Amino acid sequence: MGIVHGEEMVLNIGPQHPSTHGVLRLKVHTDGEVVSKIIPYIGYLHRCFEKHCENLSYEQIIPFTDRCDYIGSMNNNFGYVVAVEEMMDIQVSEKVEHIRVIMAELNRIASHLLALGTFGMDVGAFTPFLYMFRDRERILDLFEITCGARLLYNYMWVGGLSHDLPVGFVEKVYKFLDYFEPQLKEYNDLLMYNKIFIERTADVGVLPPEVAVNYGVTGPNLRASGIKWDLRKNESYSIYDSFSFEVPVGKGQMGTIGDCWDRYWVRAEEMKESIGIVRQALKTLPVEGDVHEAMPKKIRPPKGSIYKRTESPRGDLGFYIISDGSPSPTRVKLRSPAFTALGALSAIAEGWMISDVIAILGSLDIVLGEIDR
Amino acid sequence: MVVDQLIEWLGSLLSWGPGSPLIFLTAVLIAGIPIFLLMAINALVSVYAELKISAFMQDRVGPMGQGPGLHAGKWGVLQTLADALKLLSKEDIIPEFADRKLFIIAPFVIFIAPFIALAALPFNQNLLISDLNIGVFYILAVGSIGVIGIILAGWSSNNKWSLFGAMRSAAQIVSYEIPVGLSIVSVIMLTGTLSMQGIISYQEGTILGILPNWIIFNNPFSFIAFFIFFISGVAEVNRTPFDIPEAESELVAGFHTEYSGMRWSFFFLSEYANMLIVSGVAAVGFLGGWHSPISGFLESPGWGLFWFFFKIGALIFVMMWFRWTFPRLRVDQLMNICWKVLIPIALLNIFGVGIWTLLKG
Amino acid sequence: MSKYFYDIWSSISSSMIGMGITLKHMFLIRKGNVTLQYPEEKWPRPDRNIGFEHEDYNVIRSRLHVDMDDCIGCLKCARACPVDCIKIDIIKVPKGSDIGTTSNDTKKRLLVPRFDIDMTECMYCNLCVYPCPEECIFMTGGPNSPKHPIDYEFSEYNREGLIYKFATVTEEEVQKYTEPELPEQPSEGESAD
Repeated sequence: MGIVHGEEMVLNIGPQHPSTHGVLRLKVHTDGEVVSKIIPYIGYLHRCFEKHCENLSYEQIIPFTDRCDYIGSMNNNFGYVVAVEEMMDIQVSEKVEHIRVIMAELNRIASHLLALGTFGMDVGAFTPFLYMFRDRERILDLFEITCGARLLYNYMWVGGLSHDLPVGFVEKVYKFLDYFEPQLKEYNDLLMYNKIFIERTADVGVLPPEVAVNYGVTGPNLRASGIKWDLRKNESYSIYDSFSFEVPVGKGQMGTIGDCWDRYWVRAEEMKESIGIVRQALKTLPVEGDVHEAMPKKIRPPKGSIYKRTESPRGDLGFYIISDGSPSPTRVKLRSPAFTALGALSAIAEGWMISDVIAILGSLDIVLGEIDR
Repeated sequence: MVVDQLIEWLGSLLSWGPGSPLIFLTAVLIAGIPIFLLMAINALVSVYAELKISAFMQDRVGPMGQGPGLHAGKWGVLQTLADALKLLSKEDIIPEFADRKLFIIAPFVIFIAPFIALAALPFNQNLLISDLNIGVFYILAVGSIGVIGIILAGWSSNNKWSLFGAMRSAAQIVSYEIPVGLSIVSVIMLTGTLSMQGIISYQEGTILGILPNWIIFNNPFSFIAFFIFFISGVAEVNRTPFDIPEAESELVAGFHTEYSGMRWSFFFLSEYANMLIVSGVAAVGFLGGWHSPISGFLESPGWGLFWFFFKIGALIFVMMWFRWTFPRLRVDQLMNICWKVLIPIALLNIFGVGIWTLLKG
Repeated sequence: MSKYFYDIWSSISSSMIGMGITLKHMFLIRKGNVTLQYPEEKWPRPDRNIGFEHEDYNVIRSRLHVDMDDCIGCLKCARACPVDCIKIDIIKVPKGSDIGTTSNDTKKRLLVPRFDIDMTECMYCNLCVYPCPEECIFMTGGPNSPKHPIDYEFSEYNREGLIYKFATVTEEEVQKYTEPELPEQPSEGESAD
């Protein structure tokens, strides 16, 4: 009597799916419920960002960088603008630096709220998603009174900002921060320390540190695996070295180091740290100053190239810009952190069940706009 | 009771004699109408309640009707009606490679299970379609017909996702039947009868003069048995945290992905009817059925109807409360809970109730 | 074995805490409700007070508007647009002809017979607003907000409805200033500058 072999089933978690965070196709080979191979197919959201940049001038590229990682747009602007300013040796004023840090950190909080909310929804908890979006709306309202837009800002320009802060902004931010800090405890009680959630995510999808480094994973995913690497501290840019904040590193509180729960926990702690950074920046914000003073009349960087990386909510966002002295760059390349995270998915999700694949995908926090550009 | 009365009345009205099968058939058909109406009204009210309760828990208001033109009535009460009309007018799509006969039969099979189980549920001292002397056993047995419908739906859709949902659901429902049955056994040990009215009449009077003599307050083991029954009941109905078969974020809609329009509404209707039955059996078995909480006071048949629906409503509210708070369990964890946690505790309960009854009298 | 009981205990306690939070939200719905029943209730326009040389105006991204009386046809906005949704044609008028002045007392030198903005291509980046020397292109609600209140509800049924044509030049003026084709002649001296 021989051994009965079952056949492998090929399942398609298709481009249209409630929880693939965008248009992503995953071809999954499963044996019953257990996954044996995952192959991601991307490109459904490709909009030729890098080719467009060859025909646009430097200030016209900024709205396009917004649209790559549309959830953390301020950080995209920040990365690009810091790269061009370094190429042109422009020094911006203290006020501009402070405002940029405040906006980038508020956007980091908003992005993490969305990441955690959708992760909860993938796992089945519908309510925390709505609570987190309600708080995200307040941050978007703050952005709306500053630059008029809620999601795609075009706010940070080369050499300064597009608008100065409106009157009364600082009080509104303080009011928001005072309201928001107790909410974090409520989210933790509702979702993070819920036993069912812990069962779903602890020990699931463990990303070992060596595998993470080999795949080039950065950001909260890397920090959850135990490696302390944050570009705001290690390769400090702008005025981040004048603020004091901790870098949360996954400790394996509920399971192994590097599992999905750690990735959730690192993002929740980072929100707390961002609140601290915004408070410190508001305290030392200079009141006088013109945000348009350091803006060059014509943006023509000298011939050369630069690769500058900054810390976006998803990880290590890199801009590689080659210029030949004309008002439009020769080549702009965006190194996307979510791309490498998605690459690591096939390494860490094999051997788990289909429900776990969805949970792991949610914990990696990918944005297809950034992966496909 | 109602069926018996109908048979007598029809027998006296027409001259065919009470034993005639035609009278029996007519009586049964007439008795089926209020059950169907009850299921429909239950779906109407439950869906509206779910929309509103989920909205309030999520800091939003749900369907509201305001402004001119066609809208959902004040506070959105016409929303469910509008949904029903929409579903009736939808195109009926059957996938090309689906197994047509099974595809069409599946919603009906699922619908049958709660429909005939409602025949044994006592709403009142007198209002009861048929007072079977194996009441509880009958409901539990008939309730598992729904599994067949789910498997048929999942298989015939010719869709791997539906198949997944159906397989998971089959495993889940069949496994959770056991703790349901075991916790009902502790009830039966106390009352000594399987008949629904008999169980309710056991729960008359008070304990120590204050608490009503409901089985849930009888001894600590039956208190635990209530929770085991309720949790397993939630699993039987496929509600979160046990809603793997129709997990929205993983399988789109699980075993009823390919159904649209009126066929889909049968699944929906039977889910809410199942909730009604599980709550009904819990109310009858553990919470005293149509007795009022203050024994002796407000015990007329009209009030009995009110108390019964009040208890069912409270339990359905708790089911909805569960849905909007908890994340979903994975399949193997679900099975883990059933076989390794609920069944041992239920067995211990039976043991405990037996010892308690023995020591008590 | 103790982990078994600990697991049961922690699931019950964490579930109870979670259920308490949702119940609290349910009973506090009157205070905590965040739904805006659009279109009966609309979110108030955010007010913004810049506080220095500009008067109070809103920076909300809304429908683009051009005050054609102020446009001098410098093409700066069309060059600044990243998606090329502003299409402008200009005609050079001979020196000395009078086609008006803007509200900032700049004499107009170029006739603008065509000024189309395709709002379906516009990406609402606001980059066209800054270079305009006469501040004549802006998003409604900006400068001149009493005359042009914020309009963000401008959806149409046809795509053509969203191609806004702002030019106010009449056919006769175009005919007057368009020079007929002259045969090649040796030029001596004055050319229309």
